[in-house]
Amino acid sequence: MKTIVAITLKGIFRDKVFQGIMVTALMFLFIPIFASLSMRQVTELTITLSLSLISFILLLLSVFLGGTSLWKDIERRYTFSVLGLPLSRRSYLLGRFGGTALFVIIAASVLGIAAFCVVAYSSSIYPSDRPIVWGSMILCILFDALKYILLIAFAFLLSTVSTSFFLPVFGTIAMFVTGGVTQQVYEYIHSPASKTLSPFLKQTATALYYIIPNFGAFDLKLYAIYGLPLPANGLLMTSAYFVVYVGLLLSVSSSIFTRREMR
Amino acid sequence: MNAIETVSLSKQFTGKKRARVEALKQLDLQVAPGEVFGFLGPNGAGKSTTIKLIMGLLRPTSGSASIMGMDVAQAASRRVVGFLPENPAFYDYLSAEEYIRFVGSQFNMDASLLNRRTEEVLKRLDLWEARKRQMRGYSKGMVQRVGLAQTLVHDPEVYILDEPMSGLDPIGRALVKEIILDLKKRGKCVFFSTHITDDVEKVCDRVGVIVQGQLRALDSVENIMRSGIEGYLVQTRQHVGNQAALQEFKAIRSNEQFVEYLVPVAQFQEFMALVGESSVEITLLETKRRDLEAFFLDIVENGKSA
Ligand SMILES: Nc1ncnc2c1ncn2[C@@H]1O[C@H](COP(=O)(O)OP(=O)(O)OP(=O)(O)O)[C@@H](O)[C@H]1O
Ligand SMILES: [Mg+2]
Repeated sequence: MKTIVAITLKGIFRDKVFQGIMVTALMFLFIPIFASLSMRQVTELTITLSLSLISFILLLLSVFLGGTSLWKDIERRYTFSVLGLPLSRRSYLLGRFGGTALFVIIAASVLGIAAFCVVAYSSSIYPSDRPIVWGSMILCILFDALKYILLIAFAFLLSTVSTSFFLPVFGTIAMFVTGGVTQQVYEYIHSPASKTLSPFLKQTATALYYIIPNFGAFDLKLYAIYGLPLPANGLLMTSAYFVVYVGLLLSVSSSIFTRREMR
Repeated sequence: MNAIETVSLSKQFTGKKRARVEALKQLDLQVAPGEVFGFLGPNGAGKSTTIKLIMGLLRPTSGSASIMGMDVAQAASRRVVGFLPENPAFYDYLSAEEYIRFVGSQFNMDASLLNRRTEEVLKRLDLWEARKRQMRGYSKGMVQRVGLAQTLVHDPEVYILDEPMSGLDPIGRALVKEIILDLKKRGKCVFFSTHITDDVEKVCDRVGVIVQGQLRALDSVENIMRSGIEGYLVQTRQHVGNQAALQEFKAIRSNEQFVEYLVPVAQFQEFMALVGESSVEITLLETKRRDLEAFFLDIVENGKSA
């Protein structure tokens, strides 16, 4: 499995899509200029833009790498040769996933360092009233990475049942969009404003709230930007949620993949 | 213990609109360790389906298969196997060398042995020059060579090769035959599919012929070749001895120098006795046999009409 992780990483680094996406990272260079245009709260704005850019790049990476990893192996018939080795389907899938997840962490770290440089530079020119809480920024990026790893686990699940790249890629995007608003929908449904909705609709929405991953919980941007104290309990809950959810997704994926026929 | 064994192995594909294809019907097959087995069949006969079932890539509709006594549902059954898929494809962003190393590491080979064997197989398959290039730039035959190299690197006991000669130039084909004969000498089991009878004739101990998912013939190459003897071509010198004594045998060719007869096996004794009595001089004696190709074509024809 370790070798599959290594092979996966190698594959990503040599991939054109990855190289293209990383060019997007050059946008970091423009952030201080953009931010300085606002003339107010330049540091806060720099942090916001940096974190959003990281999030955006990680989203692209996870949709394209997560959504196409397994599918491409099957489509290009690599699975025939690799699964003919004494390697269980399960370790293959976990190795592929592990490699992709590890890559997201590496990418997040590299982008994080770039963000730190940019923020440090901005704040040295336009000193902020608030101290910058570097720890919160790190946690924010870390949880962002976890969010995308969860998304990748979803993409893998979709890949195991799909024969085209359509479902994994667009399904993952759809999941990301819905997963980002479930919290709001949930809150709306449980607020007095939703009285007019039918109870059935409410129940369905509530059920979906528990099924669809809640990506909102992983968003720590506000804490990082305004240096607010972090909710330790909430983070712990989110971490546990991450572990359980990813664990479930992977075990379902690997049992489907184990049964799948390589035609 | 058999190197490869299938018991009533069957596979049905369900396609679109519930169309069913019976790709393999009740295959019972035993291949012994040390045996080279040729799996012969026309296009769409079910060769690749059988091989994919044995490699655990497909699940049987019914029946079972095992390698060295281990059920193929377990990944561990593949520990002793070198497998070449049909028209193989390998991670094209890796170089041949990287891929061979990757395969070796899956078989837990230790580093120094892996180094040595990687070099050996890459050189043997004439990939040494290209070993550092990414495989996306390889030609079809080169990829096929990588496929063969990765079956050899860990020196397994059992080789399962789906059309090993496909895509290779004549030098490559000769090399594959040589490799298979070499494996045979070293007591390895080789099971390979093909539709080229000549390959089978040269290297196999035993051959199975599959047509439309059914095994139609299973015999040693030696038996087939022997049973294929149709008769003898006898060439005699013209105007020597009493040719008239042989007139009940029809001459197939006659000129100023020679008369040639085609004698069925059953009448050969009688013919030779007459030759002795009439002092006819024999200048050439040749066995006339149907080759494996004819044997194969017959079975395929019968198989289709059955
Ligand atoms: N994935 C699949 N879905 C439906 N039918 C299939 C599938 N794979 C194979 N078949 C059918 O099973 C039969 C056997 O196919 P198989 O690939 O085993 O043939 P083969 O003997 O390897 O032929 P070839 O010499 O062309 O490689 C064919 O009729 C084929 O159409
Ligand atoms: Mg085939």
